[in-house]
Amino acid sequence: MKEFLEHGLNQNRRKFLSKLSLGIGGLALGSLMVPGMFDGSNEDELFSNVLPHFAPKAKRVIYLFQNGAPSQLDLFDYKPMLQKMHGEELPASIRNGQRLTGMTANQAKFPLAGTKFNFAQHGNTGAWFTEALPHLASMSDEMCFVRSIYTEAINHDPALTFFQTGAQVGNRPSMGSWISYGLGSENKNLPAFCVLLSKGKGNGQGVYSKLWNNGFLDSIHQGVQFSSGEEPVKYLTDPSFINRVDKRVMLDEISALNDAAYKNIGDPEIVTKIQQYELAYRMQMAVPELTSLQNEPESIIKMYGPECLIPGTYAANCLLARKLSENGVRFVQLYHQGWDTHGNLPKEIEGQCRDIDQSSAALIKDLKQRGLLDETLVIWGGEFGRTNYCQGALSKDNYGRDHHPRCFTIWMAGGGVKPGVFGETDEFGYNITQMPVHVHDFHATVMHLMGIDHEKFTFKHQGRRYRLTDVAGNVVHDIIS
Amino acid sequence: MSEKKIYQILEMSLWVLNPLLLVLAVYNQVIQPGLFLQWIGKLHPLVLHFPIVFGILIAMYLLFFNNRRVPIAIEKLVLVTNAVIASGVVICGLLLSKQNSYDGDLINLHKWGGILIALLSWLSIYLLEIKVELKKYFAIFFGIVLIFSTHKGAQLTHGVNALSFPEKAEASVAGNGETVAEETVYKSIVAPIFTQKCIGCHGVDKMKGDLRLDTPEYIIKGGKDGLIIKGEKNNIAMLIEVIHFPMANEMHMPPDGKIQLTAREISILNNWIKGGANFTIKGSELNKDDSLKLFVSKVESVSTPKFEFKSNLPDLKEFNSNYCTTNYLFNGSDEIEVNFFQGTFYNSENLKKLEKIKDGIINLNMSGMPLKKEDLDIIVQFKNLQILNLNNTQLEISALEVLKTLPKLKSVSICGIEFEDSSLEKFLDNAKFKELNIWTVKGTEKSFEKIMVKYPSVKITVGDNMQDQVMKISNPSIEQDSLIIPTHVDIKLKHLLKGVVIKYTTDGTDPDSLKSMDYKEPFRLFDNTVLKIKAYRTGWQSSDIVSRTYYKSEIHPDSILLLTQPDPKHKGNGAKTLIDYDLGETNKYTDKWLGYQNSTLDFLIGFNELKTLHSVYLNAFIEFGAEIFPIAAITAQGSNDGKLFKKIAETTFPMPKKDDPSLIAKIFTCKFPEGTTYKYYKFSVSNVKKMPAWRKDRKGKPAWIFIDELFLN
Repeated sequence: MKEFLEHGLNQNRRKFLSKLSLGIGGLALGSLMVPGMFDGSNEDELFSNVLPHFAPKAKRVIYLFQNGAPSQLDLFDYKPMLQKMHGEELPASIRNGQRLTGMTANQAKFPLAGTKFNFAQHGNTGAWFTEALPHLASMSDEMCFVRSIYTEAINHDPALTFFQTGAQVGNRPSMGSWISYGLGSENKNLPAFCVLLSKGKGNGQGVYSKLWNNGFLDSIHQGVQFSSGEEPVKYLTDPSFINRVDKRVMLDEISALNDAAYKNIGDPEIVTKIQQYELAYRMQMAVPELTSLQNEPESIIKMYGPECLIPGTYAANCLLARKLSENGVRFVQLYHQGWDTHGNLPKEIEGQCRDIDQSSAALIKDLKQRGLLDETLVIWGGEFGRTNYCQGALSKDNYGRDHHPRCFTIWMAGGGVKPGVFGETDEFGYNITQMPVHVHDFHATVMHLMGIDHEKFTFKHQGRRYRLTDVAGNVVHDIIS
Repeated sequence: MSEKKIYQILEMSLWVLNPLLLVLAVYNQVIQPGLFLQWIGKLHPLVLHFPIVFGILIAMYLLFFNNRRVPIAIEKLVLVTNAVIASGVVICGLLLSKQNSYDGDLINLHKWGGILIALLSWLSIYLLEIKVELKKYFAIFFGIVLIFSTHKGAQLTHGVNALSFPEKAEASVAGNGETVAEETVYKSIVAPIFTQKCIGCHGVDKMKGDLRLDTPEYIIKGGKDGLIIKGEKNNIAMLIEVIHFPMANEMHMPPDGKIQLTAREISILNNWIKGGANFTIKGSELNKDDSLKLFVSKVESVSTPKFEFKSNLPDLKEFNSNYCTTNYLFNGSDEIEVNFFQGTFYNSENLKKLEKIKDGIINLNMSGMPLKKEDLDIIVQFKNLQILNLNNTQLEISALEVLKTLPKLKSVSICGIEFEDSSLEKFLDNAKFKELNIWTVKGTEKSFEKIMVKYPSVKITVGDNMQDQVMKISNPSIEQDSLIIPTHVDIKLKHLLKGVVIKYTTDGTDPDSLKSMDYKEPFRLFDNTVLKIKAYRTGWQSSDIVSRTYYKSEIHPDSILLLTQPDPKHKGNGAKTLIDYDLGETNKYTDKWLGYQNSTLDFLIGFNELKTLHSVYLNAFIEFGAEIFPIAAITAQGSNDGKLFKKIAETTFPMPKKDDPSLIAKIFTCKFPEGTTYKYYKFSVSNVKKMPAWRKDRKGKPAWIFIDELFLN
């Protein structure tokens, strides 16, 4: 009897094969109910149909990145305590042994440095502003301050990369690329993600094209950099002997060849290439129309300030950003260099403020008067903050500040954020006491405003699903209107 | 049929059912069961109790009955039957889950728990012969999974509290909008905070500090430390105090480790207690400027739009073109937004096409399109339109009158459309929309103040036209980069702004608005010229003067040869660098510059026949910081046979001072006596051999010279 039973339990080839075939039959039966399971459509395509996940509050973003890390203590986060204790040593209980950069870690003393600027509260929200930003102060009622944002990176490049791509190491897609991938371009004649650079006179830090790289996403989602010269987009104009018709014929032929190659090889980058040629062809018409200042009324020029007539300045970029955004570009990224005020801060920061004050305020005003501020999110901020103690020699009205990732201030306007002042730092401006907002939380919130659930928005690459917020991030509902 | 046969069939069917259920589970998001399968799904609640009972019996049997076993053939038959039913139940469940929308976490736990049960049941058939002890562990694990995941299922159908002990009714969390205003403020926004964050410790089960926060009576009564919503000491209510203590303080509530209050919740409690902790006041009775009103209305606005997920919506592809994009507001919404781009390609056909989806459109952006009156007749058919952007559309304001028939229109933007005050008033008469954005050349916020007062129901945003601002205009620019005039050069001037007049002079005087020439078309320069230009525009301050010096270089040598070699890092393109008509830029590392430090720059030029020269110019770069100094001296020699040279001229230049301009290119001239005619000319350009004392640590060392061009006249 036992042998007989064991025989029944044993596996032989016949049993194996018949059970295998049954299993496959079961799988096949199930697959009948899954539409498109075997027709090779990949899951990425599903995204374009399911985004936005919910009603977006903002359709477009203009990110005014202040490269080099502006000092929150001299601009928005007013700390009278520091002025009172100017020159006194930073209490050890406040620093609490936290990490410093190599630039000041070996300083014998950490004398507190109170801001040299006068502060005043503006608008109904009572937000504090330095006297160096009079124009922005007049827009106070549109602005949403987050004074309690923090990051983990302590040096420029990793911090910048963190803010732009959600990771401190390179090679991940930029925020704008994610948005481009998720939501696409509204205007098919312009790229969904544009990048504009400018430089102040302050101590500068580099910006690299990796910051607007598409990472593992299709290269069509890479940020398109506009330059300041005669040609805002390089290599866009045709040589004089080619006309539009010839160009069209040429492109049709090339795309037929590319198409054949794609059918043969199947490399998706070929399709991207075809799309890029087509986009460039349409941009040839759209970009000159857009970048010309000839059709702007005088008041706009005056509003952004005379600098906006000089290509490549922050003011000119702000104006261009408004025009790009108005024309359906999802994500316009500006970088303004020169905020790395390790020394000689009062003078440098005054110059930087002069660069950005009028034009940043004008951008908000301009969007508002066109009825576009409700659907456009403007973000202003750097990659980290600056220390409350002085780097180098401290005198009565000169000081410098080192990198401080533990708290700093950014502000946003429009696009579904609530005007007001949120989050709080201690009276020394060193640690956060209320509503800490991490870089991942910031990303999650921006995505949320764009109608995207950051946890569901992924891209599979080399066997792992990536998100802009990696495995973290909480939407900061308090600042959403 | 024998038992064996039945067993075999059942066992085989498991090999079909389980792969099938795995496919259904993994692709649960995308499967689309047909009608028949939907009916199969409905069998789930009918059959699910069999495997629960079977499963519990099996677990108990494996645990306790190892000494008194029934015949193995019966055991196997029972196990396999259970496994088949379990798999069947799971498949039914997976199909059923597609028909209702359930709470995400619950359904997931139940789903994967159920799958685990089916797989464990299957596994149990093959575990009969394993060790007794392992069998017991298996039984315990199986039992736990069974109870846990089926309980989740019970919660799905009977509610989360399916098996929890009956409690007094909880305070209802704010429901839908209409009732909120009529509900007491306490019930709609205050009590939910206590329920969510406090009554875990201050409720009927636990009463820490003898305090309960679940009913108004207990809240008024307070705890063992006294009243909580009326201040005893310092007049600050204790409740407010404890939620504001810093985290580190032991008294801080909720305590460290528990879920904290949000800023919104804190301000609700603040305002509610500040207003006297009224338990009876209703949302609708609050003062208009009471801060609490804001929070109540927020509950309303959050909860009012009941969203229904729509499927089978029309595909919008056919309405999209390169110049018009339409899309649903978000996935599952039937509301459509439409954007038009690039006015030069506008065609009203595109707009007409949208009539097919006219009821879906809620947001239309026609900014910058050259619209006509007829286009508006199409737009007014979009009955659900809420936001309309007509900025810079060249329409007359009188034509906009028809927009008032749109019942749901909320916001209109007409920036750039010019009008008289009276026509604006006419447009605002009986207008139902709430927001209007305008911008005109004449109007300012002040000039529209009266109208704003007259029509308080519309929020009018007036764009600033900055009329009173006088500003300096930016500098005009010159299109040519080259400063060299070979025979002649055409000069083109331009300015980015419309309506700018550019004045220019070519005689070195400063341009002014009266005497200087207006720039109208490109003009030609033939000789050494100082060009000065300046931009003017009415209503603006004039620009700075832009000045540029052009150098004539009409004679081109037939050959050139360097007699001393430049520094290897700055060797440019060899000798021809000097006569390529291409000036270097401020970046001295390009191949447009020749750099010398340790020797003079000696070079020879030759002509095929005798040539008369009047002067030579050398363009040099100066950057004190990089030790690049001006030329010290130029010596010229001439010869007709190339062997015997005669000195023609020597020019020396003064040692620069510390404050002389740096970081610029400068021309150095050497004039020849009248009638200098040779076939070959030899030049020696010397650098500063000893840098002056102000160049601190480099004092006494030789300086660099950087030369990029030679002009002969």
